[in-house]
Amino acid sequence: MKRQHARWIVIVLIAGLLGLGGTAVPGGAAAAVNLSLWGGYPEIMPVYQRVVADYQHEHPEAKVTILITQLRDYERKLAASIPSDTAGDILEMASATMDRYIEAGLIPKAPPGIAQFVRSRSFGGAAQDHAAVGGDVYGVPWFMGVGAIFYNTAMFKAAGVSRPPQTMDELVADAKKLTTRDAQGRVTRSGISLRLFGGGSGVAEKFAILMWPFGGEILTQASPGKYKAGYDNAAGQATLAMHLDALYATPADSFDLKHDAEAFELAQTAMFERESWVVGDIAQHAPSLQYMTAPMPRAKRWGTIFNPVNLYVSRSAKNPDAAWDFVKFLMQPQYQRQLLADVGWLPQRQDVNYDPVFARIPQYRAFLIKDKTYVYWSMPEIRDFDEIETKLADRLVSAYRDRSLAGNAAAIARVLHDAAQETNTILKRDGLYGE
Amino acid sequence: MASTGSRRAQPRDAGGVVRAGAANGRGGLPVPTRVFGLRRVTMGRYLFCYLMVAGPLLLFVLFRVIPIARTLELSVFNWDLISPTRPYVGLANFAALPQDSNFRLALTNTTVFAVVTVVSSVALGLAVAIPLARRLRLEGLYQLIYFVPFVTPTVPEAVVWKWIFDTRYGVLNYLLSLVGVGPVGWLTEPRVALWALVILSVWKGLGYNMVLFIVGLRAIPAEYTEAGQIDGATGWTHFRFLTLPLLMPTVLLVCVLSTISAYNVFTQVYVLASDIQGAPGSVVRVLIYDIFENAFRFYRMGYASAEASVLFAIVLLLTAVQLRVLQSRAEA
Repeated sequence: MKRQHARWIVIVLIAGLLGLGGTAVPGGAAAAVNLSLWGGYPEIMPVYQRVVADYQHEHPEAKVTILITQLRDYERKLAASIPSDTAGDILEMASATMDRYIEAGLIPKAPPGIAQFVRSRSFGGAAQDHAAVGGDVYGVPWFMGVGAIFYNTAMFKAAGVSRPPQTMDELVADAKKLTTRDAQGRVTRSGISLRLFGGGSGVAEKFAILMWPFGGEILTQASPGKYKAGYDNAAGQATLAMHLDALYATPADSFDLKHDAEAFELAQTAMFERESWVVGDIAQHAPSLQYMTAPMPRAKRWGTIFNPVNLYVSRSAKNPDAAWDFVKFLMQPQYQRQLLADVGWLPQRQDVNYDPVFARIPQYRAFLIKDKTYVYWSMPEIRDFDEIETKLADRLVSAYRDRSLAGNAAAIARVLHDAAQETNTILKRDGLYGE
Repeated sequence: MASTGSRRAQPRDAGGVVRAGAANGRGGLPVPTRVFGLRRVTMGRYLFCYLMVAGPLLLFVLFRVIPIARTLELSVFNWDLISPTRPYVGLANFAALPQDSNFRLALTNTTVFAVVTVVSSVALGLAVAIPLARRLRLEGLYQLIYFVPFVTPTVPEAVVWKWIFDTRYGVLNYLLSLVGVGPVGWLTEPRVALWALVILSVWKGLGYNMVLFIVGLRAIPAEYTEAGQIDGATGWTHFRFLTLPLLMPTVLLVCVLSTISAYNVFTQVYVLASDIQGAPGSVVRVLIYDIFENAFRFYRMGYASAEASVLFAIVLLLTAVQLRVLQSRAEA
């Protein structure tokens, strides 16, 4: 009996050892988990590097690779890699862009635990809506682009302008006061840096931001899923007239000057509209610049644009659970605060105390106005929008160049009417037009 | 070994022909060994040639013919690059092209650009090549100076030119100001931006054309030149009636290559005219940019393929016309 028992013990031990040998990784280490995160905003890299270091410290088996390319190239890269299942595991992308992939069934839904987190009080209603399609959550809200007015306080003081513009009329009047000219009358410093050329859709987006207070928008929703041009009206005409006056009637800007953040950092403009990332950019490139930010001026209505960027997990992710775990890890308050303080993008997570950052960098306050009348609006997330916006931008760039339009209300109306016809034709082509 | 020894023993002529008489010891006419009716050596040469051609041909089919065929195929579908479905639309994409103001503008801009660039770069390339073909002192240095822009990547070059063209701080506007010309918006004024693009492209392509012309000029037999000189042809007459006709094959080659390159202009436009967020289409819209925008920004792959097919047809047609016209002149 004893010998029989001993035999059984030996058999069990051998079987046990064989079993362990079959499942264990050589060397006794846990299986490596490789994750990749693709993004289109290079300035966020320091945040990701810190998160990756912390995550790998907590999960020694994980190896996270971050790949960031310029946004436009990144968008094209996604267009090629998502349908062919060769994209990264975690994808950082604006919901407006990602929705087309979701509708095509190329991006999987978030697991229930993540969906519950997104639907919690950690995020506002707009953030939750933009992370979902058809009621299902697909992404985790990460950060958002929100516009505000940047103004040079030293220039304002020197020009005798005591406060940032509160209304669109004040914006125009202040811009004229702040403009400087040389002996030949050429503008040497713009009072306001308008988007007059460059980025295809950017020109139209900036036009829309200044048009919104007047009551206009690029697309007006006619019925659910149906749209029409929303700028062939008095709001659009007022905005185009404002641009042309600022170029030709009483110049407050010029094609010959530098524009946008670069101009502001070089003190070549007194004022311009941009997202919060410029705060971080100024800290890096023009730390001695005296400036402040202000909410967008009001006219008929008051508000600013809101462009959310979310994190998604691709269909081709080999370890989707680990990918979502990394995304959740990234959502921790310390990283949200770092994103705001060091980079300047506004985190979408709203249950984090950002007061220490606001106290240190008060310029961020104008981006988060807690006033019920201040509307955070966004562009329609339809597949034709980029084409519509880009083609409108092309027409606006031509219009800004046309001196004969300045002061010619009928010609301005005609330009916008022709552009609106093009917009509506694109919508009709794809069955998205509605009266 | 025996058989090898036996073959060694057979006397052969230069073409590998076994002399039958020598082989069978009876003398007489040589009887060649033949495979598929061809001499063995000829067959071997053919085989070698086909094998050598097969590699490049395979690559050509893989990277040229198949993509072109796929583009032609895609042009009759309405596909957004993402959706699994591709509705067939027949020739609707082609029919929509004439109504598209962006396409019309791109076609006009590209054609103007191609005509000016090809004429300028061929004329300047020839003008630079003529003195350099005569083996001047420091000839290699001059060739290097002209050739460097061609081999340097376009992106850094375009970035440098972007600074040169800068309205406020650019060297070009500074030089123009010395002769009383006011600041020119080289990269912001659509009409002017096309000429900025021409300047950059001619500068870049000049060295390549120069090298081809130098080779062509040096290949002209000295007897012709000497005969011409004896007959009193000098200067322009010599160039017009002797050098140019003999150089016509090279001119043809340079024209064809320059035209293809000009119609495919993209990188210079993309870098030079990009600003703020980079979409130069509003400043200089050229065909490749329009195709690129429709395909990878608006996700209209079918429409972009139709545009690409039209571009392909244009380049093919122009090349055929150039070949015919210049070849007939060369023969004349």
